[in-house]
Amino acid sequence: MIQKKVCLLGTSGVGKTSLIKRFVDQSFSEKYLTTVGVTIEKKTVELDNNSVSLVIWDLAGDDDFQRMQTSYLRGTSGYFLVVDGTRRVTLDQAMELQKRVADQLGSAPFLLLLNKSDLTTQWEIDEARMTGLTNENFTVLKTSARKGAGVEEAFTTLAQRMLA
Amino acid sequence: MPDGASPAQAVLEALGYAIFARTENGGLRSLGKIPPWLAALWPAIQKNDDCLPLGEASPFLENFLIDAEECWRKGADQQIKSGPWVERDASGAAVELEATALTTNEQALLILERLGEAFAAKKEVLQRARETLIAQQRLNSEIQKKEILLHCVADEMSAALANVITSLRLIEQEDSGPRTRALLGLATRATQEQQTLIHRILEVFEGELRGVHDSAGDRSVAGWSKALRQAIESVAPLFEEKGVKVDTSAATVAVRVTVDPIQLERVCLNLFENALERSRSGDTVVVRAEESAETLLVSFEDQGAFVTPEMRENFFAQWSSPNDASSASALRLHFCRIVMENCGGEIDFDSLPAGGNRFWIRLTKSTGA
Repeated sequence: MIQKKVCLLGTSGVGKTSLIKRFVDQSFSEKYLTTVGVTIEKKTVELDNNSVSLVIWDLAGDDDFQRMQTSYLRGTSGYFLVVDGTRRVTLDQAMELQKRVADQLGSAPFLLLLNKSDLTTQWEIDEARMTGLTNENFTVLKTSARKGAGVEEAFTTLAQRMLA
Repeated sequence: MPDGASPAQAVLEALGYAIFARTENGGLRSLGKIPPWLAALWPAIQKNDDCLPLGEASPFLENFLIDAEECWRKGADQQIKSGPWVERDASGAAVELEATALTTNEQALLILERLGEAFAAKKEVLQRARETLIAQQRLNSEIQKKEILLHCVADEMSAALANVITSLRLIEQEDSGPRTRALLGLATRATQEQQTLIHRILEVFEGELRGVHDSAGDRSVAGWSKALRQAIESVAPLFEEKGVKVDTSAATVAVRVTVDPIQLERVCLNLFENALERSRSGDTVVVRAEESAETLLVSFEDQGAFVTPEMRENFFAQWSSPNDASSASALRLHFCRIVMENCGGEIDFDSLPAGGNRFWIRLTKSTGA
């Protein structure tokens, strides 16, 4: 079986752990529990004739309180940049983080996830900004860990790109 | 104490430490018995030998051992920590760990620590800190949205006032008596002042102002007599309507004071309105101005009911009680206080022996021309 290391990057409170819980356990908790350090989960996805074991690294939010150790990214095959769509500032922080880790991650495929898409009335990332990201060759997906929308698609898409 | 364990080993085990030595062939061997909590977590590490498969048991540890090798290669005085990570035991419960690689007495060591209460406390602090950070970001965002909304509302108000001013001027140009023209002049001026205030509000929210909330250090100078005269002109119709007289005979001193002229006029206006609110028909509001070497003390005396101690507590507060009719008055006085604080002045009030109240401001006289 093919094994691939996947990391979820982003500032705190954007929903990295919730996305993993939704993908791995099909569960969701409304309560925000911050991640301190690293938690690793595993799940196998079936792609055409391939079984891919995803080793998913849930990294603590990178913020003023804790900086992410770049050594955690060693061996990463693909990653998600996770943004809270109801807090525009988290997109800027994700962009900065991506620049910081670009050398470490090289050409590993990644997707930009605009999470919390169910909170439409609080949404702060307009279409123009999304179009701008697409023009910069970012693959952008809207996800909702609460509703499950886009989560399976995100992991499957990344798995496909890691195998390509 | 566990069978065969030295006191030191027993203590380390009780503290949640597991210590491994790097062997000559590059493997890891436990110093002492493998602690039960570790054996329960990683059943493959039950039996001690010279090549424990720690890296295989945990992808995190596998990654950390690469950094550990680098640390051990450098030798003495080197130490690195993995940072905390979480493993799941057979029941799915979280086990929080941290690894340290170091070299001591030429022996490369790997220490696994099962994190306890200190880590839980740290997590709690981080939890609160991040909740606060997120709340702050949401609040900032909300403030931005409100600012935009306020801009829109203020712009619309400004446009409406411009129409009112134009209409008043057109009426003024028509054939009308001197009293009507005077009243129209007052109305025009009051409307223009409202426009000025709206622009100031916009400035405040744009962070560009040197206005109400941010004029500390502003060396603007105002003429006292002019400010008083303009304030009286603005409030005269209100006093006339209520049947209250104004006596400014003891207030006409030609002094310049260090405060923004428009703000001084607004302060006077607010103190006049405050006095009028306390007055009954037939009362007189007396304004006095007393000069000293460096300051000008201005008081507004009314003949209204005494201010009670309870009321005193709410004076000058931004929001005394939203449903209270006196909240507008408190807001006016709050504005006065901010202006006075920003220009280095003072504001307060006291009760008059013969009845009524005296609200006073103390301003610094300008030493310049």
